[in-house]
Amino acid sequence: MAETAIMYDSSKCTACKGCQVACKQWNQLPSPLTSDEYTFTSSFQAPLDLASNTWLIINFSEEDKEVGIDWNFMRNSCFHCTEAACEQACPVGAISHKDNGAVVIDQEKCIGCRYCVASCPFSVPRWSEKDNKTYKCWQCFDRTSAERSPACVSTCPTGALQFGDRADMLAAGRDRVAALKEAGFDKAELYGEEELGGLHTIVVAQRGLEAHGLIRDPKIGITDFWQILKPLGGIAAAATVGGLGFSYFMARNYKRDVMVLDDATDKLVKVEEVEK
Amino acid sequence: MRYIQRQSMYARSLHWIHTIACLSLYVTGLILFIPSLAAAVGVTTVQGARIIHRVMAAIFIIAPVASVFIQPKGFVHVLKGWFFKWDDKDKEFMAKFAKYLFFGGKEHMPDQKYMKSGQAVADIPVVLLSIAIALSGIVLVWPDFFGGGSIVRWSLLIHDGVMVLLGVMMIAHIYIGAGIFQPYRGSGRIMFGDGKVSEADALYHWGTWAREVLKAGGKDVTTE
Repeated sequence: MAETAIMYDSSKCTACKGCQVACKQWNQLPSPLTSDEYTFTSSFQAPLDLASNTWLIINFSEEDKEVGIDWNFMRNSCFHCTEAACEQACPVGAISHKDNGAVVIDQEKCIGCRYCVASCPFSVPRWSEKDNKTYKCWQCFDRTSAERSPACVSTCPTGALQFGDRADMLAAGRDRVAALKEAGFDKAELYGEEELGGLHTIVVAQRGLEAHGLIRDPKIGITDFWQILKPLGGIAAAATVGGLGFSYFMARNYKRDVMVLDDATDKLVKVEEVEK
Repeated sequence: MRYIQRQSMYARSLHWIHTIACLSLYVTGLILFIPSLAAAVGVTTVQGARIIHRVMAAIFIIAPVASVFIQPKGFVHVLKGWFFKWDDKDKEFMAKFAKYLFFGGKEHMPDQKYMKSGQAVADIPVVLLSIAIALSGIVLVWPDFFGGGSIVRWSLLIHDGVMVLLGVMMIAHIYIGAGIFQPYRGSGRIMFGDGKVSEADALYHWGTWAREVLKAGGKDVTTE
């Protein structure tokens, strides 16, 4: 299977939230059914954050201008990193890469330790208290493996979301950034080409990465050290056992006289002498 | 021969409670530390291991902390053992110990107090590392309470790193303390038996302390 990617073009996004609905519908993720379950914040962004049953939201970032505001939309979901911190952090191997680059959680294996939640630089995986498991976007692998687009892409009415070979998505993204620059959006950038070994969600950031809330040059950070510790721990244990084995070998003929205290002289004497 | 009571029933019980907790923590922790091991034993076993890990972690923390209040005199006794004024014999012991351990135990070691200088040097880091592994473990059990993110990442790094260090120290402790190391044969009775040590072994390992106890006599010295 070829490497695939979703491309999100923020300049074409109208934040209609059709993708959010499609994600919930296809993946059968329940929404709150009671009124006032979401805290009112006056933002059009709803829900405010990802959750174990909300794998995709459109972030609304408002930037004040001299006249009015700029609305900088951003698709907030898993980026499906090549160097996926969540995968490295998972102690039970529940998170893995599919052949097309999608990073998926095997819910059968997930133990709810939340190490992936802590390690993801984008704060994407979310833990569910209900079943003690962690959830995130899986790029609709059931659909993509049947040569269909992910649900969010299939429903996008403006073409802001596209899906295809990663190389094609990158090429399209580069073209789009060039066109935006020509149109006066000097800060337009492409995100995901090199970040964390290459993302499988490519973003055309119309007004620059920061304006859309994207992390410039994201790092896995200390999660790398977790991986080093495993072989290091093995080496340390082997070296200790080896060293003590050497000690045991060297002392194999060890013998000493049994010495006791002669109370009268306060000196050590052989026990045989005392027993006489 | 005379025998000296070196460890009380309480100290031995605490030692074994903590030993069971430590070994259980290692076995269950390794399942989470090595992904291939987790895959081999299956999800149900991993979940069971996590529960056992947390129960044993509670024992690992509560047992010594409770002992400070149950046996305050014993706690002070241990503190005095750790924080003593180093004399020439203590320094000589430290200088000779590596050669003694790795080259057949032939080195003549100087008389030692109740706690050997080398034991104090090892014990203090063990206590500090144990506090570190306990605190980082608490963060890992309740990551959301502590704000998640970087504090959890650091806690996991500390937890795993300290596990490696304590593991190495525990292997060495078992090797020496259980008398696998030939010069320490006989000292196993202190923890595996009734807490007594023979006069000969006591004089060999803790000469200064043994002379004091033997001279003082009393109920801690018995003849068999």
